[in-house]
Amino acid sequence: MTADESSPERKGLDRREFLAAAGSAAFVLGFWVPQRASAANIAGAVWYEDSAVPEINAWIVIAPDDTVTIRIAQTELGQGVWTSNAMMVAEELQCDWSKVVSQYASANRDAREMAPAWTLNVPGNGGTDPKGGGTPDFGNRARTGGFGIPDSLYRRMRTNAAASVKDGRYYLQLAGAEARERLLLAAAADWGVPVAELAAKDSVITHAKTGRRTTYGRIAHLAARTPHPHPEAIAIKPPEQWTLMGTEQKNRDIPAKVTGQTLYAIDVRLPGMKWAAVKSCPVYGGDVKSYDFDAIRGRPGVRSAMRFPIPDPKLTRGRVFSGGVAVIADSWYQAKQALDAMPVEWSISPEHAAFNTQNMHAALLAALDRPGKVRVDEGDVDAVFAKAKRIVEATYSTPYLPRARMEPGNATVLVTNDRVDIWIGDQSPQETRFSASQITGIAEQNVYLHMCHLGGGFGRNGNGPQAEQAIMIANANRGTPIHLLWTREEDFTGTTYRAMGVARLKAALDDDGWPVALEVRTGMQKDGFGPDASFDVASRYFVPNYRFSNHTTDFHVPVGTRRGVGQAAHEFYRESFMDELAHAAGKDPYRYRRELLARTKLPFRNDMIRALDIAAEMSGWGTPLPQGKARAIALEERGAEAGGSATISAMVHTVSVSRDGRVKLERVDVAHDKGFGLVNPLSVKKQIEGQITWFYNDAMHQACTIADGRIVENNFDRFPLSRIDEDPPEINVRFFETGHWLIGMGHDRGTSVQAAIGDALFQITGKRIRDLPYGKHDLRWG
Amino acid sequence: MALDLYVNGTAHAVDVDPATPLLWVIRDHVGLTGTKFSCGIGQCGACTVHVDGRPVRSCSFPVSAAAGKRITTIEGLSPDGSHPLQVAWIELDAPQCGYCQSGMLMSALALLTRNPRPTDADIDAAVTNACRCSSYHRVRKAIHRAADLMRKQGAGV
Repeated sequence: MTADESSPERKGLDRREFLAAAGSAAFVLGFWVPQRASAANIAGAVWYEDSAVPEINAWIVIAPDDTVTIRIAQTELGQGVWTSNAMMVAEELQCDWSKVVSQYASANRDAREMAPAWTLNVPGNGGTDPKGGGTPDFGNRARTGGFGIPDSLYRRMRTNAAASVKDGRYYLQLAGAEARERLLLAAAADWGVPVAELAAKDSVITHAKTGRRTTYGRIAHLAARTPHPHPEAIAIKPPEQWTLMGTEQKNRDIPAKVTGQTLYAIDVRLPGMKWAAVKSCPVYGGDVKSYDFDAIRGRPGVRSAMRFPIPDPKLTRGRVFSGGVAVIADSWYQAKQALDAMPVEWSISPEHAAFNTQNMHAALLAALDRPGKVRVDEGDVDAVFAKAKRIVEATYSTPYLPRARMEPGNATVLVTNDRVDIWIGDQSPQETRFSASQITGIAEQNVYLHMCHLGGGFGRNGNGPQAEQAIMIANANRGTPIHLLWTREEDFTGTTYRAMGVARLKAALDDDGWPVALEVRTGMQKDGFGPDASFDVASRYFVPNYRFSNHTTDFHVPVGTRRGVGQAAHEFYRESFMDELAHAAGKDPYRYRRELLARTKLPFRNDMIRALDIAAEMSGWGTPLPQGKARAIALEERGAEAGGSATISAMVHTVSVSRDGRVKLERVDVAHDKGFGLVNPLSVKKQIEGQITWFYNDAMHQACTIADGRIVENNFDRFPLSRIDEDPPEINVRFFETGHWLIGMGHDRGTSVQAAIGDALFQITGKRIRDLPYGKHDLRWG
Repeated sequence: MALDLYVNGTAHAVDVDPATPLLWVIRDHVGLTGTKFSCGIGQCGACTVHVDGRPVRSCSFPVSAAAGKRITTIEGLSPDGSHPLQVAWIELDAPQCGYCQSGMLMSALALLTRNPRPTDADIDAAVTNACRCSSYHRVRKAIHRAADLMRKQGAGV
């Protein structure tokens, strides 16, 4: 069936009739098809359902009791979009915030309907940023691509790049404003008064002259039939007019999360559902040579076993995972026990099996010695080095790192002959919809995603082919809902990794200790993410002669973003080296950085200086500390070189190291950029707090090594997670005003922890450690 | 094998392999999904429930060892979010993704049950659950707040 043949438009059916037809056909064939109503009746479900009353627009439904349902096209994974996206709509709608209910937007409708024309009027397409800075990422409109925002109904349904606010704000505010204006138009028509005389606040519309009053709930059915005469002329509120946005709002998903009622994808249960436990070849690119189902046939609950191929790299952004086997049983525990007992032989490429951390690290270091891709070459670096009196050089290393979200990969999929239903927590439902269509041959218009909150995310569909595997297995078992669930070990095989990296930084210093030449060579595998981060276009710290180059090699480990797109490793390299230069120059690391920022022409130079100044002042920089304690400062920036959107922060970390080598992050002082205004400052604080300990964990403990081509640390016994005892007792956050468009802060905040602990270790122990994690080194002193 | 389980005050007769981890019986047979699976080896604590008032990591705890004993899950803390721990968690906006929080709350409950005035060091020692979002900063504050609320209300747990 092709997309055209199956589309309701082609058959002259409206959407509801089409669904009814599809459902009845399936019934005749004896397949169980979930009805929307029964799916919605699962307790705690937050996925899309058709509304009982006509919607105002695709984002907003207002019930007669004034309940406002706001459709959320991003995925809640702890960052607060369930609340912040709703705030952007509700700000303009001027509704009663206490009666707002969030619900996931329908990825299926997104496949069937185009975005209203008025939502296209955003920066990058004719709109204007009220603050004059930056544009969202509207460049290319592919639904399945890594970049750009499609012009299908809900525009960008991805949750990535910390960009939910940046990329969605204009059209989400517009959605609220369009609905508000139509509610007012409907009331004005109903009362026969000019719309300009009406006021709307907290879901109440009033006409001062006549004292008339109504509520959104009472007028909504009329508003749903009242078009806006000039929707393209609707303007959104600039930040100075916000009343809800910019205030700290508690996250609306929290009450269900403290009672166990939140329905994550792992909690989905459907009538007739079977469970799949899977094992993929532990060496990426490998496949199944053979498996012996007879050895487990007859075990309790076991139904069948099957192999599945390497998920099509076209559906996984070119990443090559592994083929594997699935055992399907009545319960997951039965499936997993049987799978563990089933003999499986793998077909593994000898080249891949030969990889180990040692030879890969050596290959990266060797790549640094070969010519690389030169991104910036200013002045005459070589000439300055040739006659330099003083050269400082350092080589840093960072390991492979997985996201290791708490909820292991899982998805429930039901494939019938004309429809696919997927229950999943997913950071990219438009891509998953495409995958389902490609794997099953069923048109995207007939793919339904029932979205769940995610038990952690940390980087879009880099979390791997959970959906693709589940769709392949369900496609081979049409008519039966299949719930695939990865073990923790399988989650480590199914994920992508932040690429292992190395960097060699080399500076020539003048007689006063200021750098006169800087060469930065970074190395990672060629598909590693963010090779340009933190160093490209211009050095963040002034140097008259500057060269930055990338040096790559080929490895088999699938890589992706991970709470940053290169910044996490690159800011560790950059800020560590700045500390080394400051010490070599005999200068204070804060004032050294400050002076070098001040000498640049970077567009956000002054914002970066303010961040450093505020963090230093907050921390009591320069006041004495007892032996065994030290402060270190570092800058965090994304976009500081470009002059468009950016996020800028600085942190001072107060660190103690005991004589027996125990490290404690005692206190963190954070100065963070406000940009055009934060939508929910409470969520921003939580993101900052969380990332401080995330990066502490990275800096001190976490690494995945490779042996015989496979990931060695694949559960939390060998891949340690920081606990509450490692959370800093004191975190102080101060936001400061800036005028640019913020990129976001869901990732690459707190990267400074890495360099700061390194410098504190140096100050306290005299040891300069340049390969992470620090915890594998001897940190004792005295 | 038929086993009698008492979960949140309700008796359940389950027919299951006695070696099955308690976690899967709670989730699949009793039907309470607030208790989460994450590591499967008793490391992270997402699966923490109480058996006769003591916290156990149910992913690595055979159901046979819980037979006949009182089992308390997150759903048994309070049905409506009114337990002081839940009130404090909401007040501090403690969870992020929330996946680990059922276990985190059950560990905090165990701590406050035996120690109504925990120090930070007591919390460090007792609440060893992993949270990948690192919600710890607010969890610590919420534990102290819940202790205050429980003392003020004289609430038994």
